[in-house]
Amino acid sequence: MNATGAGGNAPAGAGASPGASKAPSGRPLGSRLIGSLEVRMLLLALAIAVTLSFASPYFLTKANIFNLLDQSVVVGLVAIGMTFVILTGGIDLSVGSVAGLSGIVLGLALKEFPIPVAIAMAVGCGALIGLFSGILIARFGLAAFVVTLGVMAIARSLAYIVSGQTAVSGLPSELSSIVFTTFAGIPANVLFLGATYLLAWAYLTYTKGGRTIYAIGSNAEAARAAGLPTLFYSVLPYVVSGAFAAVAITFSTAQLLSADPLAGNLLELDAIAAVVIGGASLYGGRGSIVGTLIGVLIMVMIRNGLNLLGVSPFWQGSAIGGIIILALLVERLVSARTSARA
Amino acid sequence: MEPLLVARGVTKSFGGTLALSGADLTLRSGEIHALLGANGAGKSTLSKVISGHHRASGGEVRLRDRAVDFRSTREAMNAGIGIVMQETSLAPDLSVLENIFLPELGTPGRLSFRRLRARAERILEELWVAETLPLDAEVGRLSAAQRQLVEIAKALAGDAELIVFDEPTTSLSPSEVEHLFDIMGALRESNRALVFVSHRLEEVFAISDRVTVLREGATVGDDVETASLDQGTLIRMMVGRDLGEIYAAPQARAPNADTAPVFEVAGLASAPLVRDISFAVHPGEILGLGGLVGAGRSEALEAIFGLRDRQGGTMTLNGRAVSFRRPVEAMRAGVGFVPEDRRTQNIVPDLSVRENLLLAHTGARRLPGLGYRSRRARIEALFEALDLPIHRLDDPSMLDFSGGQQQKIIIARWLLLEPRLLLLDEPTKGVDIGTRQAIYRILRDIAAEGVGIVVVSSDFEELLGVSDRIVVVSDGSSIADLPSGALDEEKLTLLAAPRTSMARTTNLLERLAHEHGGAAFWILPDAARLVCLGAFVADPAADPGFGAGEAAAFADTRVAVGLGTGCGDANGTTADGFVPEPDGSLATLVVPVTNRRGHDMGRIGVVVPGAGEPEAARRIADAVHALHAPDTDKEAA
Repeated sequence: MNATGAGGNAPAGAGASPGASKAPSGRPLGSRLIGSLEVRMLLLALAIAVTLSFASPYFLTKANIFNLLDQSVVVGLVAIGMTFVILTGGIDLSVGSVAGLSGIVLGLALKEFPIPVAIAMAVGCGALIGLFSGILIARFGLAAFVVTLGVMAIARSLAYIVSGQTAVSGLPSELSSIVFTTFAGIPANVLFLGATYLLAWAYLTYTKGGRTIYAIGSNAEAARAAGLPTLFYSVLPYVVSGAFAAVAITFSTAQLLSADPLAGNLLELDAIAAVVIGGASLYGGRGSIVGTLIGVLIMVMIRNGLNLLGVSPFWQGSAIGGIIILALLVERLVSARTSARA
Repeated sequence: MEPLLVARGVTKSFGGTLALSGADLTLRSGEIHALLGANGAGKSTLSKVISGHHRASGGEVRLRDRAVDFRSTREAMNAGIGIVMQETSLAPDLSVLENIFLPELGTPGRLSFRRLRARAERILEELWVAETLPLDAEVGRLSAAQRQLVEIAKALAGDAELIVFDEPTTSLSPSEVEHLFDIMGALRESNRALVFVSHRLEEVFAISDRVTVLREGATVGDDVETASLDQGTLIRMMVGRDLGEIYAAPQARAPNADTAPVFEVAGLASAPLVRDISFAVHPGEILGLGGLVGAGRSEALEAIFGLRDRQGGTMTLNGRAVSFRRPVEAMRAGVGFVPEDRRTQNIVPDLSVRENLLLAHTGARRLPGLGYRSRRARIEALFEALDLPIHRLDDPSMLDFSGGQQQKIIIARWLLLEPRLLLLDEPTKGVDIGTRQAIYRILRDIAAEGVGIVVVSSDFEELLGVSDRIVVVSDGSSIADLPSGALDEEKLTLLAAPRTSMARTTNLLERLAHEHGGAAFWILPDAARLVCLGAFVADPAADPGFGAGEAAAFADTRVAVGLGTGCGDANGTTADGFVPEPDGSLATLVVPVTNRRGHDMGRIGVVVPGAGEPEAARRIADAVHALHAPDTDKEAA
């Protein structure tokens, strides 16, 4: 590492002659696209889609595509928050439990308050838990893995206690309108997912806050020395993550009209997997919201495809785990080759 | 004599980049061979090929006339080749002993720690550090110089016959460099072959027997005797063209000390390293903060900039009291800061060159948007002025640039904010000589626009060349504030020495002043001027008219004649007696001080009212000779 850092073994740079340096901007568009991780993962997603459409005639039907999009909503929303967290070099293991607890808060609040207030309370609950984790991690320097592992246990336990160990059911049926209302034939929850991804992408790409999150994950000390508000933007991703876990569970509760204290179990694994498949580095600084979206689609397609093919649910875990590892392995090999070419 | 190692036409490529394109090197036992080149010339790569870190892509390396191709450092070590790396390869959590024998911990079978300890003690004795480097100390807690000694010990423990020193002096203070050179000299005496990688010419001339110069991956000066070269020839070989004066000439008109300072700090304290630092910078002035690594200079800059908590001190910027709690406050007030370590404190590797360049702009911005477009024209002008390639502005990583270009981009990051005060910590560390020259010129140009500049540098030659005035920091306190014209490297080294290592001398001054009812001082004289290292006044009537950390002309002191006569003779033969001033009020005795190695350490003087007695003069001379500056020896170790 020091060879490129301080030692300097790039004579092209030292020479300072314009023609000698191989700037990426000088490479043809095709190789630049292949060089981009998102494009490679998009190709992988397409390959999976094509394979599944041959394996199951039902896969490419309109009904199944809507089904796929519908299944993407929960993990997709959680993965946005997870992307923020992972970009800073952190991790949030608590999202599944936070979703469970927020769902219970939503269910109980619906008994007392109008729907918008109840949703706000649930999202507020998720955000507060995120704030708690974020402050412990960013202000007190505790390891994100450990803090969110602890919060994961606490939130799940609180979900059981608050709910009295049973699902909260009999929720007002108007709640389901946030899922089943359609605009131009597209369900509201899918539209919401799309709009949220667009906003998150714009935020991470074009705002001071978004770039600060990248800078923190890449080199927090340099970001701090350049005057960026590193503490605030180290905490914010956990707040976003907690809030999105609550938003996600709101949609799933609206579909079921029931809040289960066990809801969201293992959601963190799907979300982390989607973010990592989307090309984010667990060390922070590298990754994108577009990549995460592709990662979510890959995850959901595989799960959906395995169901269509009648693979036993017990084998699905092995299949998904294997595909994640394979995807990352191929990615590592390919990216080593392309960066060597560059 | 048969060469120990011969490398011919070595090439090495990383991906598509050619780091070595035909490097030759010939090494002989009992010689120190300097491997010289600008940054990015391939010095480090060639050393790593020789020591087994990298495998050559082409060419031939022959060791004792047998072709070798090391696949690992282990293989190189078994063949008797060790390397002391720029960034140390030690395990910070292990002890000194464990680190020295780290390669052996990998061998199967039981280790006898008692035998290893005895061997380690022998090695440390060979390096003269058996007393100062405890074997059980945790390596992570050692100073940079001590860690380097552990690396050398590690190479020796592997019975290395050929040791590569990859830029070993970068983080060492002058006295530590001297000690390192002593060790290298001893290793040469023991018939080992040494490679000394550097881009500092003075050091190459000081220590090496032969030189190989690399430029852009190829050998351009093959196996030349150092003695047959001069500085100009070497620079021409390194950069491929002539360089003018390295340091930009200071302004013709010295910055007017009467103008209000841009920035002033008094009594700055920031635990644990910064205790009491004060200085002022005037518009258009480059102020150097001199001192040893660890004296608290970097920490002082960080404390000023709001990166570190302060426990005390007042600051004024443009006449207004300021107190920055966070960097952004300092930035918005017009202060810029270039921290020391490019890789850890400046470069954000995952952001593009453009975003890195605009990082401080983003940090200072109040609006949520980025506003990159508004800086377009200014960026173009800056890249033009700094000779940076504008077509690489959107490169995805800064790490593909040479160290010098990286540093220029970082400086440009702060110039974009148009600061009134610019603080720079080691601005030319790991930067080739061509870029260094460019950076000095840039600093001079910014200063000429009325900006106040503070530069921290451990390279005393650079500090003297670049600054108008130097504030010396030792043990966290500013102890001298002198125009750089009054100083040279030797005086700066003595001024910068840790106060603790001078305790014996300052105690002696105090004792002499009290015993003889006058004043005592320790000065470095230079023709008719002096720099005072320490002074103690017991009787105000005998005040010599200058104090510690001050420079003065003899004529401006109260003991002009005493100093003139006392220092006039380099051998100090006039030290037999007091020299009275013409008006008879004061008499001065000046005694030369040398350390054990016969190094001139200046003069100690005593001023008494009246004429002074010969008997007292003899006692004082004895006391000074008895001092014999053993503490300054310790400082040199």
